[in-house]
Amino acid sequence: MAQAAGATGKTEQKVVDNRKVFAFEIGFRLIRAMAVSFWVTVIAFLMMRIAPGDPARAALGLEATEEEVAILRKQLGLDRPLYEQFINFFTGVLRGDFGISLSFNREVSDIIFTALPTSLWLVLLTFIMGWSIVIPLALFVATSKSVIVAYLFRSTTAISIALPNFFIALILILLIGHPLFGYTPEFPENLGYLWLPAFVMVSSGGIAIMTRILASSISDTLKEEYVETGVFRGISRFRFLFYYLLKPSLAPTVALAAFGLGTAIGTTAIIESIFSIPGVGTELLAAVNGRDYPTVQALTFIFGVMVVFISFIGDLLAYWLDRRVKL
Amino acid sequence: MSFKKFRRWMDEPGNSLVFTGSTMFVIVVSAGILVPLFYRFGPYDFVGEPLQSPSWAYLFGTDQLGRDIFSRTFHAVYRDMGVAFLGVSIPFITGTLIGIILGISKSKKTTSLIGSVIDGINAFPLLILAVASIAFLGPGLSSVIIILSLVNWARYAKIARTKAVVVSKANYIEAAYTLGYPKRRIFRKHIGPNVSSETIAYALSDFIIVILLVAGLSFLGLAATPPAAEWGAMISEGRPYLISSPWVSTFPGIALCWSAISLSLVVDGLNRREGKV
Repeated sequence: MAQAAGATGKTEQKVVDNRKVFAFEIGFRLIRAMAVSFWVTVIAFLMMRIAPGDPARAALGLEATEEEVAILRKQLGLDRPLYEQFINFFTGVLRGDFGISLSFNREVSDIIFTALPTSLWLVLLTFIMGWSIVIPLALFVATSKSVIVAYLFRSTTAISIALPNFFIALILILLIGHPLFGYTPEFPENLGYLWLPAFVMVSSGGIAIMTRILASSISDTLKEEYVETGVFRGISRFRFLFYYLLKPSLAPTVALAAFGLGTAIGTTAIIESIFSIPGVGTELLAAVNGRDYPTVQALTFIFGVMVVFISFIGDLLAYWLDRRVKL
Repeated sequence: MSFKKFRRWMDEPGNSLVFTGSTMFVIVVSAGILVPLFYRFGPYDFVGEPLQSPSWAYLFGTDQLGRDIFSRTFHAVYRDMGVAFLGVSIPFITGTLIGIILGISKSKKTTSLIGSVIDGINAFPLLILAVASIAFLGPGLSSVIIILSLVNWARYAKIARTKAVVVSKANYIEAAYTLGYPKRRIFRKHIGPNVSSETIAYALSDFIIVILLVAGLSFLGLAATPPAAEWGAMISEGRPYLISSPWVSTFPGIALCWSAISLSLVVDGLNRREGKV
């Protein structure tokens, strides 16, 4: 940028314009993400209210007396009018206050803050693992001229989309063996343990589609003329693969990866419960089984907002990589 | 169709995949119809010693209560497939209709409002929304169908809306208006079929997602619950015996993979025929 600014006046003008467009695009996407987050809040709020029956009664069970139910209704704020409940919930969300858990008698935000880092580590590991498989695989498939490779790749991806992750997790635990069961919940010391659940999350679903899209955009890039020019100029293989082929082809996959990561966050509920990892997914299941409504509501909200945030980042990255990407 | 014609059909790209996938699908569905009708053991009968390995008497072995796994695996077909079918077709119909209406409607305010609600629903991972709603609706397969009908339409509506905007600007629609066809006819004969071809393509891959979702929820004990013969629930029941008697979980697991893979092959073949990635 600094170099361009020091050049002729014409280029300077162009740089400023680009910045304006960039700022506008970021602002537009930010507003959209905020609008979606608002609806995420509304949906998380309404879930408890539109369900049939009285949530307070359901939480306490049939043996509870009318007074106990009335007290709980008051504690959950269910006795007030709907709009007031929503304003309370909304301002609570903004302050990071989600009320008090019914089964553990502690702040819901406390539960979230202890469980969220674990899940984020898992998701981050899945993300890194996914990309480090997708990029080499897609480069290999796209540059290989063998029919067998193309056929094998196509059928494996078609099959891997259809594999149930919980079943794969069970089989892998069976194959890799017993020592894995000796997992202790002290998380940071056991970071190494997370590779297997991350691998299960990577292998089912997302990665297959991502590799396919990336491989197809790389083979589109291969047809461009500048790639041929690069070959004639005799650039190194590394430079050829990563700068000439990969970088211009990444944008669609980055946008898709954000979506895939959202789905991966959803599957943490199953994977965490199989590997008994103390993350948000496990907390959500515990809250569902214990009919702990404030916690269910808060965790659903957290999941939704995480996905909105990730797809916002993915959108920006895709736009940064390729300015032609439109929403 | 003569054999020669069939050979030629199979040589076209994608058709062999469609053929393999649909054959696999037909096999599992017909087994799901025939086994409950004609097999000698019912899914809840205690037929012999618990945890017997597969043999001629018990093809897939027996589970921890001495029930026949072969019978249970194929009794689960109508439950899994039926729930998945309802959970796909209801949102498919409502979502496509809503999407078309949004696509051709002229009121910008309402469409953008409903559009952002749709984005809000789609922001949640399906599994999370299903798990959370079960806290309010109670576990059961019917809850899963209700949740899918309430939530999953948004994905169809998004696809249908995008397509409907394109279709409604196409020349043949203009032509139909100019010819003075009634609006209902244009909606039913021109816009409807063109938009739904897109959502049907999504519905097929959604079927895979929903089958896996139903089994996954049952595995967590949130949809079908024991003693119901359902793949996810059966896999979960067999978990404690995974090492000593792996057949208890494995056979329902294979049936689940088989069904999902069959559909995935069909989807892939159809995509290939159209030259998509």
